[in-house]
Amino acid sequence: MRHVPLVRRNLLADPRRLVVSALGVGLALMLILLLDGLWAGIRSQVTTYEDHSGAQLYVVTPGTLNLFADSSIVPRSAVDTVRAIPDVRWAAPVRTAYTILDLHNRKVAVALVGSVPGEPGGPWALAEGRAPEADDEVVVDSVLADRHDLHLGDAIAVSGATMRVVGMSLGTAGFMTGFVFVTHHATELALRAPDTTSVILVGTDQPAAVRARLAAIGLTAVDHAALRASSLALATKIYGTPMRLMVGVGFAAGTLVIALTSYTTVAERRREYGIVKAIGATPTRLTALALGQTLSLALIGAVAAAALFLGGRAVIEALRPQFVVVVTAPGVLRAAVAGLAMAVLAAIVPARRLAHLDPAAAFRDSS
Amino acid sequence: MSRRVPLARRYLFGERRRAVLATVGVAVALLLVLVLDGIFAGAMRQVTSYIRTSPADVIVSQRGVRTMHMSTSALPTDTVDTARAVDGVAWVEPIGFVSGVIGAPTGGRQLSYVIGFTPGRPGGPHDLIAGRAPGTGEAVLDRVAADQLGLHLGDRVRVLGTWLTVSGLAEGGTSIVNTTTFVTAAELDRIHGPTTSYLLVGARPGTSSSALRDTLARALPDASVQTRTEFARQEAAVVADMSADVMRIMAIIGFAIALAVISLTLFTATLARLRDFGIIKALGASSGRLAGIVIAQAVWTVALAVASSVALALVVARVVEAAVPTVAIAIEPSGVMRVAAGAAAIGAVSALAPLRRVIAVDPASAFRRLS
Repeated sequence: MRHVPLVRRNLLADPRRLVVSALGVGLALMLILLLDGLWAGIRSQVTTYEDHSGAQLYVVTPGTLNLFADSSIVPRSAVDTVRAIPDVRWAAPVRTAYTILDLHNRKVAVALVGSVPGEPGGPWALAEGRAPEADDEVVVDSVLADRHDLHLGDAIAVSGATMRVVGMSLGTAGFMTGFVFVTHHATELALRAPDTTSVILVGTDQPAAVRARLAAIGLTAVDHAALRASSLALATKIYGTPMRLMVGVGFAAGTLVIALTSYTTVAERRREYGIVKAIGATPTRLTALALGQTLSLALIGAVAAAALFLGGRAVIEALRPQFVVVVTAPGVLRAAVAGLAMAVLAAIVPARRLAHLDPAAAFRDSS
Repeated sequence: MSRRVPLARRYLFGERRRAVLATVGVAVALLLVLVLDGIFAGAMRQVTSYIRTSPADVIVSQRGVRTMHMSTSALPTDTVDTARAVDGVAWVEPIGFVSGVIGAPTGGRQLSYVIGFTPGRPGGPHDLIAGRAPGTGEAVLDRVAADQLGLHLGDRVRVLGTWLTVSGLAEGGTSIVNTTTFVTAAELDRIHGPTTSYLLVGARPGTSSSALRDTLARALPDASVQTRTEFARQEAAVVADMSADVMRIMAIIGFAIALAVISLTLFTATLARLRDFGIIKALGASSGRLAGIVIAQAVWTVALAVASSVALALVVARVVEAAVPTVAIAIEPSGVMRVAAGAAAIGAVSALAPLRRVIAVDPASAFRRLS
């Protein structure tokens, strides 16, 4: 005996409805994938500056969580002290802070870096132009420059000082904040903070030994891993709850689209299902029918989600390159598990409807 | 007396479970937009809290610096005396403002704005709910941050790397990003170096905020001078402009899901009743009357979904705020209006395909037997 492919027949009975349902489920799953990808992108960008500074250690105020969100203050005189420590190859002062630029009546938050010309800490890759040398010169992240139509030679206000754009940096875009580079002296003038710096970058082949020596003279040094961990913890604190909420809403929306489609199919075809029940289908068989339907929809939705995700990611990265969407295997797995869970949950309503279906419905007019 | 049969409502709600699934489906999709909008609106409220509750009429900051959030302002020390000499000024209070970290002895750390003010003068916490204003070697923490760090009155707290004692607890200073800690101006100078970041300025009776702003701006050409309202607006603009792109992406996805669900609902409801539409047409109903039924169904679906999404959003806001006190979700009328307008637009788009079907329906179909 051969099983009648009821699930497939019912799903394919109305192709237009199937397409709309698949799109609905696909969008919900795509939302989950996209949020996961954005989160992975944020994680990859959280230590962009540290990843490119070339330093192994960072001398900061005790307790510093993040180079930009904290106002770490270190005496400028400490730079020479650090340079004199054995095994220190180089040390460079850098001022780091968030600041707000007013561009075309929009508030643009940026990560401001002030470094000494010719020393480490400035822009690590330039798309065009050169690094800042004078106090009225600025290098702007190329993505930010594109978005705000900035060109070499343009003048912008940074912390109240008018500066000329002399370069566009590459690989310096961020999820919410791009990088802007000026000279260290320019930040001293803007912040009225002479003789201080935010952080001293330290190049060394012996980070553990150098850190111990710095601690012995009362200076706090953190390494890349510690900064990354605290910056990630900070990002999780800020974005974690909204991200989880959005994923939850996406999950609920996908579940409801599957449930709605499956339930509608069952409701419309109660006569056929009545016949199935009348000829002896067990409750398990009927539940399997409902589940088969929701699983099939979830599967078709997953295919749609993959296409929508790839298209959506391409559009986002083309129009808003500051948003990096990274596909990871765990992210795909989480979306697959979410799709499966949606299908199982969505099966509850149509399965209940089938369980309570009167076999006599088979013999009534469907009109 | 003839009475119109509410066909749209009957067709839509004839199958109750399906109607519930459809309404909740659309509502959840709209919830995505509403909640995200609420999170940003809540963040805006939190970010502007200090300024909104300040007694100052005018705020003076470094030239080109118009905000506190993600900003650093440094004023020359003589700005205070210059401002005090301006006509119409009742009082001038300098405050120090630094972004940094506060930490508990147990190791917990939190990002914080640290405000240095003179106790007994404007600039301190608006709602001191326990303890007292800070003295030398003391700090006032926000209650939510203190709870998260497990700190109580009298405990030690590390502020910008220096250990202080918790003298009081304030309310309303913690946001999704950070908290607010108050110390004396002298303490902040000691920890961070001499810091005059902003001037809070009060107007004399009879002097308007805008008039005082203009007079101060003339006296302080190297500073930014704004009324409190303008400053709060600039603060809100930081959050709004930073969140605009994320909001747009999520709104597109949310509305696209809602579009799919509404289309599914209207299309299914129309197809299931195609024979009924044929009968109505055979009885003499015009195409306009049939179109009216479909449009009414769209209006019902959208209206119910918007109402349900607002109710759901209010519940979600309560639950989230109870579970994560740093996250405020403010469901504001402007946000609801935006979602309702978006939902109305997608409702109109969703109705197009069913409209075509009912207008093209053959009255003879009423007399054919459905298999």
